Amino acid sequence: MSILLRLCLTTLLLLVALPDARAAERLGDFTDGQVLQGRFVQLRQLSGFPAPLKSEGRFILVAGRGLIWQAETPFAVTTVISPAGLVQEAGGVETMRLPAARLPFIARLYAMLGGALSGDWQGLEEAFTVAREGSDTAWNLRLLPRKAGDAAIPFREILIQGGQFADRVEIVKPDGDRDILTFLDQRLSGQPLSAEDMQLLDMAGRR
Amino acid sequence: MRMFAVLWLAVVLLSGLYLGYRFHEGALFRTDLTALLPQDERNPVLQKASDTVTKALSRRVLFMIGHSDRAAARAAALQFSADLVSRGVVERFDSQFDAERVVRLGQQYFPYRNGLLSERHRALLLQGQGERLAVSALSQVFGFVGMADAALLRQDPFLLLPGFIADLPFPASRLVVDDGYLTVVDQGVTWIALTGLITGESMALATQQHLVDAVGESEGKLKAAEPALQLRRLGAVFFGHAGASVALDEASWLGGMSLIGTVLLILVVFRRIGPLLHNLLALAVGSAVALAVSFLIFEELHVAILLFGTSLIGVAVDYGLHYSASLFDPGMRRPAERLAHVRTAITLGLATTLIGYATLLLAPFPGLHQLAVFAVVGLIAAFLTVILWIPLLDRDRTLRHGTAMLHAASALWRFWATPRLRPLHHALLAIFVLIGVIGWLQLEVDDDVRHMQALSPALLKEQADIQRLTGAAPAAQFLLIKAADDEAALQREEAIMPALEAMRDSGQISSYQAPASYVPSAARQRENAQLRATQLDAAMRQAQYSRLGLPAPEEAVPAQDVLTLDEALQRDAVPYLKDMVVASGLHTITLHGLKDAGVLRTAFAGIADLWVVDPVTDFNALLGRYRDRAVILIAISALLMLLPLFWRYGLRDGLRVMVPPAAALLLTPAVLALLGQRFTFFHAMAMILVLSISVDYAIFCAEGEADHHSIIMLAIWLVTFTTLLSFGMLAFSEVAVVHGFGLTMLVGMCIALFLAPLARRRTVEAT
Repeated sequence: MSILLRLCLTTLLLLVALPDARAAERLGDFTDGQVLQGRFVQLRQLSGFPAPLKSEGRFILVAGRGLIWQAETPFAVTTVISPAGLVQEAGGVETMRLPAARLPFIARLYAMLGGALSGDWQGLEEAFTVAREGSDTAWNLRLLPRKAGDAAIPFREILIQGGQFADRVEIVKPDGDRDILTFLDQRLSGQPLSAEDMQLLDMAGRR
Repeated sequence: MRMFAVLWLAVVLLSGLYLGYRFHEGALFRTDLTALLPQDERNPVLQKASDTVTKALSRRVLFMIGHSDRAAARAAALQFSADLVSRGVVERFDSQFDAERVVRLGQQYFPYRNGLLSERHRALLLQGQGERLAVSALSQVFGFVGMADAALLRQDPFLLLPGFIADLPFPASRLVVDDGYLTVVDQGVTWIALTGLITGESMALATQQHLVDAVGESEGKLKAAEPALQLRRLGAVFFGHAGASVALDEASWLGGMSLIGTVLLILVVFRRIGPLLHNLLALAVGSAVALAVSFLIFEELHVAILLFGTSLIGVAVDYGLHYSASLFDPGMRRPAERLAHVRTAITLGLATTLIGYATLLLAPFPGLHQLAVFAVVGLIAAFLTVILWIPLLDRDRTLRHGTAMLHAASALWRFWATPRLRPLHHALLAIFVLIGVIGWLQLEVDDDVRHMQALSPALLKEQADIQRLTGAAPAAQFLLIKAADDEAALQREEAIMPALEAMRDSGQISSYQAPASYVPSAARQRENAQLRATQLDAAMRQAQYSRLGLPAPEEAVPAQDVLTLDEALQRDAVPYLKDMVVASGLHTITLHGLKDAGVLRTAFAGIADLWVVDPVTDFNALLGRYRDRAVILIAISALLMLLPLFWRYGLRDGLRVMVPPAAALLLTPAVLALLGQRFTFFHAMAMILVLSISVDYAIFCAEGEADHHSIIMLAIWLVTFTTLLSFGMLAFSEVAVVHGFGLTMLVGMCIALFLAPLARRRTVEAT
């Protein structure tokens, strides 16, 4: 279920970068070939763990192509999500592969968030209560699932803070565990990807 | 005589009362063609298991509910399933993979996780690649897709249990779980799959009717609210219902036509109401007593017995018609004389016909037993009615309008009895021989039961849609494993699973499900626990915990008992597991998308107590064997019939009487072949009737003295017409089996009638 969570997040990154009604216009900034990249720090607070599981790495979000999520410490693992599906590899060995056909939520979620991006919040607001506050440069977004216990939306709430981009995302799970993601050094560019990154993106589309 | 008539009245009244009681109680009719057919007597274990599994499979139904709007499809699926369950036609739907089911699966497996490994993990450990397993677990914890349940990680730092659960076989390859429902999105339409188990037996007519009615009403309601909604259904019960509807419709209209035709024929010929009433009486008594006795002997009757039973009408009136035909004889004024005149012929006719029908009892076909009992009892009852009652009821005087009719009827006799036409006779016989030879050369047999059942095209299309949407063909084939106990059976499954994996990889099958996929044998679980202890726990457990940043628990996973099949069955968390365990030690492995059962048979040939069960193929082979057997039965019954004929006519004339029936037996298959029919078991069964009836005709001709031959021939014509009106009508059936049966009767009767005068006694002619 966390797959959904992260995908939600991915698109939310996009979404919250453009948090107001002018979203549709600004969407022009992030069209095919545009790349949003940066670093992340993830703190995973699990009940029973003495300290949060901390991992750090980089991410690259390529409009229309997919997402590369590369944890570097303490354990190197790369996840690539594209319209074809999801692939995860560690130490050169593929550890997970989920074709898009096995992930019906993805389509649903993309539809929902895609709608929101183009100004149609209805789909998103059917599933979540969306509360926005603050200004364009410092805003908060709070998503609460409308339906308690919906297996497809396995979290209690999502809190997002941002300015130009999303800076901090906090996901609270039903059992009280939470993931806190902090994004650093984010930049939007039209530069082509490196050969390695292209290869990673292609990896998800194979087979 | 009068006393016997009264006794017979008492028997008939009793039968009527019993029949009334049975119908009041709700008479039971079955609809499955297979119930009519033989049991495989060579392997009772196999047969029993095959029956059990087939029965369980036939109770399964699958619905797919589609709508372009996901929410609408889901709402409809919820309403539809709740509706069918509340109406009591579906016992339960088991396709919801909601949180509760996941929790139940977890509860079942968690205590035994020590011995549960997915095939992939097990293979890695066997190759000594535990490190890869550890990395895979870490990548799940730290990767984007976070599998991070702290409680589970503490217990299972290598995430072996989630791996095991994720690897449980899942038959429908295109379906995915979307928020609790098995779903597939196809061309913008969201389809929800609902699989369930119907209440009651799939082949009981009442069950079928309730279910089909309920589904129809529920579908109507849903579509009234959401016109764009689509529904597809799949299940043996629907095919059974469609087939039975055709059979019942036909039984009523064919039976009706047969009755009307027979009534008209008798009225036209006799121009009196008397013969009609007498014959209807004989027929009604015959049918009612036959039905009563059949119900007394068999708990349930097959609808096909009704269908053939209506045809018995034609045969049952034969005796009455022979009596009535003597009304035209001016030499016989009193009923007693008329009876005396036909008694020998109809008694002999009854004896030979009973031999023919009783031969059906030798075939181990439950349906044919029912038919044989029905026919034998019905014929005896009709016979007794004719000889005991009709003479008492007969008030008719000699009929005088018959001259032209009798003349016409006896034309056939005269044709054969005219010496100067002998060259023509020889030419005709030569033509018959030619037809026979050409026909026999073209004769082909067909034992494929699929050609014999009229499967509803609409349902077949829905089936194809469902197969396309789900990516799974309904499982009809399976492997059957017999072992001393469950543990031994599970071990045997594990032994052949690598072969099945290879077949899956090479595309021979699309998937398979064995009980051992869900509950590994105790031996395997202990071996897994050992593997885990040596390859993972000893080598890298501490390291894994420290990489996770977790304090290692004091001790390794405590050794637990193994999960037993009994416990899993009791918990009922795994759908279908119950269907796969027939009895202790008797398991099935369900095969999906099997391309060629032959390959499987070859692969598993020579392994004791392991069978590839392909009900259709097995059934076809069985039909083939019994087709051969039926042909032998016909030969036996023809030989048995010679005995009363020799006793009555002596050796030479007895053989002569057998000539027309023998010719009908030999020519009918040839003509059928020329008509493009493939000879099936059911054609062979019709041949038994052809034999019985054609012997009747020959006997009447043999009994006919020269001066009476026109009355005999009139009776034979009448009997042929009534037989054709009943059995011959079956040739118009849409059910291939019934059509073949009817056509055989049609051809056989015509030949029997045409050749019957050959049986006349030449000694009579000479005087």
